[in-house]
Amino acid sequence: MLRHTALFFGHELRTVLRNPAWALIGIMQPVLYLLLFAPLLTTTTRGGTMGEALRMFTPGAMMMIALFGSLFTGFAMINETRNGVLERLAVSQAWRPAIILGRVLKDMLVLACQALLVMGVAVLMGLRLSLAAALLMLLLMAATGLFAASLSYGLALAIRDENGLSQIVQFFALPLTLLAGMLLPVSLGPQWMQTVARFNPLYYAVEAGRSLFAERLTDSTIPVAFAVFFVLGALTLTWSVRSLRKLAG
Amino acid sequence: MIIEARGLRKTFTRRGRGGTERIEAVRGIDLSVAEGEIFAALGPNGAGKTTTVRMLATFTAPTEGTATVAGHDVVRQAAKVRERIGYVGQTGGMDDNAPGLDSLLLAARIAGHSRKQAAVRADELLAAFSLTEIARRPLKTLSGGQKRRFALAVGLVNRPPLVFLDEPTTGLDPQNRANLWQEVRALRDQGTSVLLTTHYLDEADALCDRLVIIDNGQVVAEGTPQGLKKEIAGDVVTLRVDDQAAALALLAAQPYIKETQERDGALLAYLDDGERNLTGLLRALEAGGLAIRSISLDRATLDDVFLRHTGRSLRDAA
Repeated sequence: MLRHTALFFGHELRTVLRNPAWALIGIMQPVLYLLLFAPLLTTTTRGGTMGEALRMFTPGAMMMIALFGSLFTGFAMINETRNGVLERLAVSQAWRPAIILGRVLKDMLVLACQALLVMGVAVLMGLRLSLAAALLMLLLMAATGLFAASLSYGLALAIRDENGLSQIVQFFALPLTLLAGMLLPVSLGPQWMQTVARFNPLYYAVEAGRSLFAERLTDSTIPVAFAVFFVLGALTLTWSVRSLRKLAG
Repeated sequence: MIIEARGLRKTFTRRGRGGTERIEAVRGIDLSVAEGEIFAALGPNGAGKTTTVRMLATFTAPTEGTATVAGHDVVRQAAKVRERIGYVGQTGGMDDNAPGLDSLLLAARIAGHSRKQAAVRADELLAAFSLTEIARRPLKTLSGGQKRRFALAVGLVNRPPLVFLDEPTTGLDPQNRANLWQEVRALRDQGTSVLLTTHYLDEADALCDRLVIIDNGQVVAEGTPQGLKKEIAGDVVTLRVDDQAAALALLAAQPYIKETQERDGALLAYLDDGERNLTGLLRALEAGGLAIRSISLDRATLDDVFLRHTGRSLRDAA
């Protein structure tokens, strides 16, 4: 079972490495936000410095790749429902959950690598970050990826239509972005917004990211975020594996 | 028997705006395939061939009925069945972005081979299907025939005693089609049983040892290509006349005419020993005062078998 997961993981990873340019283009959006948006925030922070602004803004920018990158990963699987790859795998000796698990692990690793690059850019721009906080942030990104990628595969298998999937992801992406406080903290907003934000899982990721970047490593937001994503990740993963079983109708 | 299916049924329910719609794709199919034979399921598109193969290959569970494939029940012992079959779907099921070799190695390792064994098995298959030279090219850069050969190689990676080939030559040019037929025959020569589906009459006729004709989710005829054709007659006269009713009556009165059918405005008269009896028929038509617009004599084909059992030509149905 683990062997099959590792085999699919390896195969998927080779696909990414054949064209690493795509994964690099994926981080352009957050990097551009860091370069062109973070400087606008310097006046909103207490110290008024670039370091302060980056500390507040970088975790949100990083979660953007989790949202925009991983939620679109299901597109490849829609294609695989049509070109017969999943059909062939379903009647092979492959352990079925491994088909999804291998792909999700690939997405988690790609996301962690992208996150590392974005953090690198932020450090070059003047962010100061401890090693422990950086490592925990990578783990948090991976946990977010577990949820977002599993959700995307589940949606792909349920919808099986590129147009449908892109509309649904786009529909949710903007409110999820704003209500997670990715651009500006939700705490700046009115009470009702803060209440609604609590129903957005990404809100916890961004909050935990800000705690990490502020070096408050024992802050309660961190374990809460990990717990939220492990539970949601387990649920969406189970859902997508089940959907795979129903592939044939 | 490597496949033994009894009363297979598959009903899909589709929920739509107008309520639920039930689609009976397969309505009670019995099949027996012997070890080492090439067995074909011939029928028009939408006849239920693919659904039948998908049930036998454990992709989808039958709504009703049972099937034993390679000694195991397709529902209760699906994992055991999967170890013993190869499956090549209509679309090939190959990763287009990866080199064919990568997909082949992955399939070999999934089937339980070690890294080394997988490399050996992949080399064997690449050589057998003349794919060694193009093994490292991304699959999307290959021709349709080459992709099909890769799909076949992947299907054989676990040395299965039984292979399912769903429409193996659809979309291939005549040259590639002939090559694929050779490869399928080579499989049988090595003792592998093959169940293939096709809507090509000539393919079923040339390639298979036995076949079933499937129409509308049911088996309408079963036998060897020769045997099925013999059931009607060796030859067929296709006749176009102005007065069809008179011609029909006249044909029915001829002792050597075994059966008549109508297709596309022409009359088909089935008879044995056509070369000799054609002169008699011409004489009778002339004596009856019927003006012949055209007449031709051909060997009976599986299409004539299909026409007899369904009242339609497979060419029209497909």
